[in-house]
Amino acid sequence: MRKIISIILLAILTIGVVYCLKEIPFGETQSQVRRYYINNGIKHTGATNIVTSVVVNYRGFDTLGEVTVLFLAAIGLSAVLYREGKRQKKEGRRSSLILYTGCRFLFPLILLFGTYIFIHGHLTPGGGFQGGAIIASGFLLTMLGCWKWGGVNKIGFKITESIAGLIFVVVGLLGLLYGGYFLFNYLPKGVPNELFSAGIIPIIYVAIGFKVGSELSGVLDNLIEES
Amino acid sequence: MIYYVGSFGLIIIGLYIVLTKRNLIKVIIGLDLFETGIFLLLICTGYVKGGTAPIFSNAKLTSALMVDPVPQALVLTAIVIGVATLALALSLAIRLYHHYGTLDLRKIRELKW
Amino acid sequence: MDISNGVNPALLIAIPLGLTFAIPLCGFISKRIGEYIPILGMIFNLVVAITLIPRVIREPIIVSLGGFPPPFCINLMADPLGVFLAALIALIGLMISIYATDYIKKGATQNYHMLYLLLLVGATGIVLTGDIFNLFVFFEILCISSYALVAYDGDKPGIESGMKYLIQGTVGSGLILMGIALLYGKFGTLNMAHLAQNIHSTTPLSTFLPLALLITGFGVEAALFPLNAWLPDAHSSAPSSISAILSGIAIKMGVYAIIRIIFTLFGASSLFHFILFLGLFTLLVGELAAFRQNNIKRMLAYSSTGQIGLIIFAFGLASTLGIKGALFQMTSHALAKALLFLAVGYMIYRSGSIKINSLAGMGKKMPLVSLAFAIGVFSLIGFPPFVGFSSKFLIVKATLAQHDSVLTILLGFVLLATIIEGAYFLKVIQTIYFKDTAQQTVQPWQGTSLAALIPICILMVLIVGIGIYPEVLSKILNAAAGMLLDREAYIRNVLP
Repeated sequence: MRKIISIILLAILTIGVVYCLKEIPFGETQSQVRRYYINNGIKHTGATNIVTSVVVNYRGFDTLGEVTVLFLAAIGLSAVLYREGKRQKKEGRRSSLILYTGCRFLFPLILLFGTYIFIHGHLTPGGGFQGGAIIASGFLLTMLGCWKWGGVNKIGFKITESIAGLIFVVVGLLGLLYGGYFLFNYLPKGVPNELFSAGIIPIIYVAIGFKVGSELSGVLDNLIEES
Repeated sequence: MIYYVGSFGLIIIGLYIVLTKRNLIKVIIGLDLFETGIFLLLICTGYVKGGTAPIFSNAKLTSALMVDPVPQALVLTAIVIGVATLALALSLAIRLYHHYGTLDLRKIRELKW
Repeated sequence: MDISNGVNPALLIAIPLGLTFAIPLCGFISKRIGEYIPILGMIFNLVVAITLIPRVIREPIIVSLGGFPPPFCINLMADPLGVFLAALIALIGLMISIYATDYIKKGATQNYHMLYLLLLVGATGIVLTGDIFNLFVFFEILCISSYALVAYDGDKPGIESGMKYLIQGTVGSGLILMGIALLYGKFGTLNMAHLAQNIHSTTPLSTFLPLALLITGFGVEAALFPLNAWLPDAHSSAPSSISAILSGIAIKMGVYAIIRIIFTLFGASSLFHFILFLGLFTLLVGELAAFRQNNIKRMLAYSSTGQIGLIIFAFGLASTLGIKGALFQMTSHALAKALLFLAVGYMIYRSGSIKINSLAGMGKKMPLVSLAFAIGVFSLIGFPPFVGFSSKFLIVKATLAQHDSVLTILLGFVLLATIIEGAYFLKVIQTIYFKDTAQQTVQPWQGTSLAALIPICILMVLIVGIGIYPEVLSKILNAAAGMLLDREAYIRNVLP
């Protein structure tokens, strides 16, 4: 019975969407703001990666909201999984020597790769969120493969998260002071295609990279301890 | 055209799983599929035929040859929101299993009318 | 930043957000500091919003975030409606955060206060923004923090209702995103004023589906009729302070989003009749379902559903008087429901059970809290010296002013629903005051704490005060209603 009702609802949805999508031809975009962003991107922000300049500068407020949502997920997770008192550690299967050595060897390389991606966010594809996710995957590798490791330093992660978030808000407020607009790009723009260019964009992306990395690692740590 | 069909197909499959399956983990996976389909749909609306990534790696690229950067920024934000929702859903599922001992949605119906 | 012209509205969102990020750092100094930071944040918001009101009545403030001209950036649109709702959010948020300093004792209390402050930041962001994707992001902040807060207690009903709320809410958010994708694909812009300008340049049938998707998606959070299966469970299983903020603020934000989309974005006047009937239907179903309840919090939750139906009915009238009545009803319902949930919270704590029969005899044991409950109930039904009377009277006046016989018949149904509401609430009042105590109390008692009594008293004073003198809100509500109906003025203000 439930299946029949759901199939009927989905069929109605399909017909509606097909009718609507016929009006949007594939391959010729009707965007009105696209040319403005691509033509004036370097002049206004100094970043050669136009997606970065859209994410951090033109639509920077959405990025602030996104950072908040991730913060919410980490806090909500630790609130729901909160348990009074100590948990007893369950003994898992010990990994073999090759796995253990391999994980220890790969961990700094993965961290380096993630850091490279979020530092060069304004020049190459990537940015704060992608780099942070790679750093978290490095931590996941050690959590799974290195049984001798005591676990992440929770207090250190909490401090990193809060300070990185505060840096983002403070940079925006300083923009309000200097330029009259929240999140205004007030540092010198520099020469395009160099590492130190594009005003406040690298600073924000570094803060986001640290924040996302520490948050996702904290989430994974909470989930692994719970099981 | 095939991209529209593919993304919309993912949406329909995801919604069907959420509406009809009984196992809680399958419902969460269905939510994930549903959201992935929507992200694909959003990116498809920004495609330009023959366009490349909107990065000025050499200074000769013009706007006619680049795809739309705005949907990519929107999808970045939306993916993060989806991850946050999924993390919360999984933690609630862990707690639910701890209380009820089963993940079958038909048995988790203690709150009645 | 020119202080002479008043504070920048962007600070209404930025400062509480910064305070939330600072809570874990302050938590290293002392564990209890985190309880007072939401209070600070909401006092700041309330003061700023109230000082902004005279300015925005004269002319709305457009703040561009990033310094670029409006269609190419995100802009905040601080018009009278937005700033009024921001002030309401700050007021109710402040009251409940004072209550929560003493009510939340177990669990990860620091996380509770962070989640709570972020819920209020999300709500403030929804009412102030002028860009549709930004609306979605702040809506998600509101929703995700409410999923986590409903499940905060960690007991069986809480986690189960949290899970059901999460699944339904996420499907709703996905539908909203699909609607935004279709709108962006067709029109190429995300700014609300720019969309409003271009929306009529294409066939009405092709904009129908994004509109339907957006209304369905926001309707899950606003608890419209077929989509509100999550609401009774969630509001009754959450801790009482969370039920108060959810019933008082969170569902109104869904209604605000729907109204903004129908009136400003699409200008779809053919939908007004639809939302009129939908509101009436929701009202009747909610009140009838509340009649049969034995569990006090579930009864209040169904009553919330009904009142949202009444608010949407009033919005469907689409005249200045009707919208003014709807906004006034929003205010009075927020004040009364918050007061009711706060009072019930302590009564449940004292008697140890949620059933209505166990509240028997509370009139003698907790006189002040029972008085607060009675005032809240009378305001909700609509008795004269309270604010509920003024708002319902305004809605009745607005309906009769249309001189339409169909509307008058519908008004009869609205009054019928009010009578049903009066019946079940008076039954509860009778149990509290006129029945004797049937069972012993569970908890040893030292008297209701001061932190719980302050917000209850302030809310009581406000309900009686605004009820006796409703003119104090009349100017701002007139400006807000006028702004909502005037699409051209909205577009003219934002785009040059």
